[in-house]
Amino acid sequence: MPRLTSVLGYTGAALTALAALAGPFVLYGAFTQGIAAMGLRINPVYSGGPPAREITRPGYRIVVYRPVVPRAPFSFARSFVQLAWTPAGALPRRVEDAVDLDGDGRVDLVARFDVPSDAAAPLFLDVTPAGGRVLPLRHVSRGSFSALIARVGDRIVTRIPLAPR
Amino acid sequence: MADPVVLETTRPAPRSIGRSALLTLPLLLWALLMFSHAVDLRENAGRAAALLTCAFMVALFFLMVRTRRTYRWRRVFFVALGVLFPIGFIAQLYALRGSMSIPVERMLSGDTPFCFLAIPMLIVPAALTRTVIFPGSILPTASNPHSVATMIAVWFAATLVLGKAWCAFGCFFGGIEEGFAALPRKAKLRDLPPRLRWVPWSVLAAVVLLSAATFEPTYCMWLCPFKAVTEFPEVRSAQTAIQFAIFGMLFGGLVVVMPLLTRLRTQCTLLCPFGAFQSLFNKLTVFDVRIDRSRCTDCVACRRACPTLVLDEAAVTAGGPGISCMKCGACVDSCTKQAAVWHVKGTPIAARPETARLLFLYPAWSFATLFGGSIIAGSLAQLLRPLLH
Amino acid sequence: MLGNLAEPALLGFSSGLVCLAACGPVVLPWLAAAGEGGRGTARLLAQFLGGRLVGYLGFASLAWAIGLALPLPARTNAFAYGLVHIALAIALLVFAVPARRRPEPCARLSIFRRATTRSGFLAPVLLGFLTGLNLCPPFVAAGVRAAERHSLPGALAFFLLFFAGTLVWFLPYLGSALLRRLPAVPTVARYTAALVAVYYLLLGGLTLGGAWLHG
Repeated sequence: MPRLTSVLGYTGAALTALAALAGPFVLYGAFTQGIAAMGLRINPVYSGGPPAREITRPGYRIVVYRPVVPRAPFSFARSFVQLAWTPAGALPRRVEDAVDLDGDGRVDLVARFDVPSDAAAPLFLDVTPAGGRVLPLRHVSRGSFSALIARVGDRIVTRIPLAPR
Repeated sequence: MADPVVLETTRPAPRSIGRSALLTLPLLLWALLMFSHAVDLRENAGRAAALLTCAFMVALFFLMVRTRRTYRWRRVFFVALGVLFPIGFIAQLYALRGSMSIPVERMLSGDTPFCFLAIPMLIVPAALTRTVIFPGSILPTASNPHSVATMIAVWFAATLVLGKAWCAFGCFFGGIEEGFAALPRKAKLRDLPPRLRWVPWSVLAAVVLLSAATFEPTYCMWLCPFKAVTEFPEVRSAQTAIQFAIFGMLFGGLVVVMPLLTRLRTQCTLLCPFGAFQSLFNKLTVFDVRIDRSRCTDCVACRRACPTLVLDEAAVTAGGPGISCMKCGACVDSCTKQAAVWHVKGTPIAARPETARLLFLYPAWSFATLFGGSIIAGSLAQLLRPLLH
Repeated sequence: MLGNLAEPALLGFSSGLVCLAACGPVVLPWLAAAGEGGRGTARLLAQFLGGRLVGYLGFASLAWAIGLALPLPARTNAFAYGLVHIALAIALLVFAVPARRRPEPCARLSIFRRATTRSGFLAPVLLGFLTGLNLCPPFVAAGVRAAERHSLPGALAFFLLFFAGTLVWFLPYLGSALLRRLPAVPTVARYTAALVAVYYLLLGGLTLGGAWLHG
């Protein structure tokens, strides 16, 4: 029995060395694919959720994302809906858009922001609710994950907090 | 308890240079292979960094083999990693965006590089909702090669090989406090209550439970001292200001001041939940450190040498430090009776300790060369670029 | 009739995972620190759930009686949220963190001291009560539905059935009795409770501060 356990121990040691050598060539790639195959996605509080619909405007479009409702009771993040104006380069200097969030024919909010020529300049968002689905915002820049406006690549991303139901 | 110094020991004579070189040869080949891919060899700085790092890692391994000691040479690598990683990282941040703070745009676009410290907190939320509570990307992208899947894959492979020895051979933060702990000759603060070594387990339990309740990576948001030397959310509210203050205090206290006072790795010993998490995987590895009770004279040299308070009186009596041992080699190198030994599970204790040590060092140093060595080479390349351009 | 019974129970069952996660930071350290066996853990958990039920029913009665329409205004919500978290933190620091000793078998103890010892009922009931008040989204959703009931007994019955629906998710907490085999667990659990308490203090303070400054 002691001989058997010794053989097993040294076998394990050899396999460990093999694993260390195989790591960069086989293991990392296999593990990466395995984790990717698990169907995980980034939490929508960070990613903004999946796109739900698009609203076409002359020269650009508004992507409306599915509302994000944090499931965790103690989360600092509130419920919000993300909207993205794209392409940012085609936007007028002043954007003022009435947005129907769910395609029911009723305007839910009016969003206003200026688009400076300097891509690094800060952006400020004003939102006027129409119908009680969202909360008003005044001169919000990058306040929190649930109320912000930011330039991300070729998109102007906004997040507007939802009114409590 | 006196200072955790590694005492001079009565041990076998150093291995001959020829035999040491022969045993180092596989590592040399491995290092050459790794560094040919780790940095951009088309530029002078890349070639110089690759050469320097290769020579550095191979030389240290040669010295470990020749002197039959582990801790002293491993520490040189670890401190170099702990110093160069933040330098390279911060330099990159300033080159990219002129600041260490993470702009919200980076989080919204999923470009935040994934940190392994977040892994324990992701498990429950991912199991409940299949979402990852980290503002990164699942798969690597051009702007974010350090994706969730990639870094978890690296961690998993490393854990299979090292177990908790990640904390001594892989963690690019641990070397910072190990460097500070090595500076003073004597500890000014001694006899920390041994029960404090349970705090990392409490931190692990608390951040896992709170992350499941809040769906936010609690440790990253409130407790990570290494935010002070990497990147942190922009300070633009009372909450982020408090968070930044906490990061700074923890770094200053546990990573700088306490190691200088105690000569211990106090952040690892008193806070790090990832270390506690890695301890759970120490059962996977076939290597451990044991105390041969037939040779031990209870001189407490090993206990003084242990940098993380793992080796207490009960552990020595029980014949080994248990699952929280990070296999740094301090206790083995300090033992004057060769009672503290490297060991392969299943084999008789102290039967072939040097064989066990070498069998452990090959995979451990291979991983260290691949992972830590590539970080060192990358940072060196950045520092040398202005000089060698 | 069956449909009326099923709705709150199903709402509770579907929300139970959130309740499990929300109560975890309080319940698990508390149970692990108590170091009780299977029966003792079940007793403590039952007392905790009893306190939680009292919290639910008490809030339902208050809201229905004074005619509050849920959801509460944001500022009121924030104040309540902040105060409950600070109270939870204090309760954890008082009951879960100190190393408790069993009372001498023959000692004469006041009712209060008996209630606050390890085998006493005050701690789990209070912790359950405060956790029940935490105004988590499923709780608020149930509150909105309950407030729509035409009578107070109807509202209370709704909350009772909602509570019953969440109960099955708390059964895994009984497994914490297995942890007593590890001698370090009570120490780790007490330190965990202290850390959770500090977090709740911070959370509560920030929420109160934000509500006071911004409304």
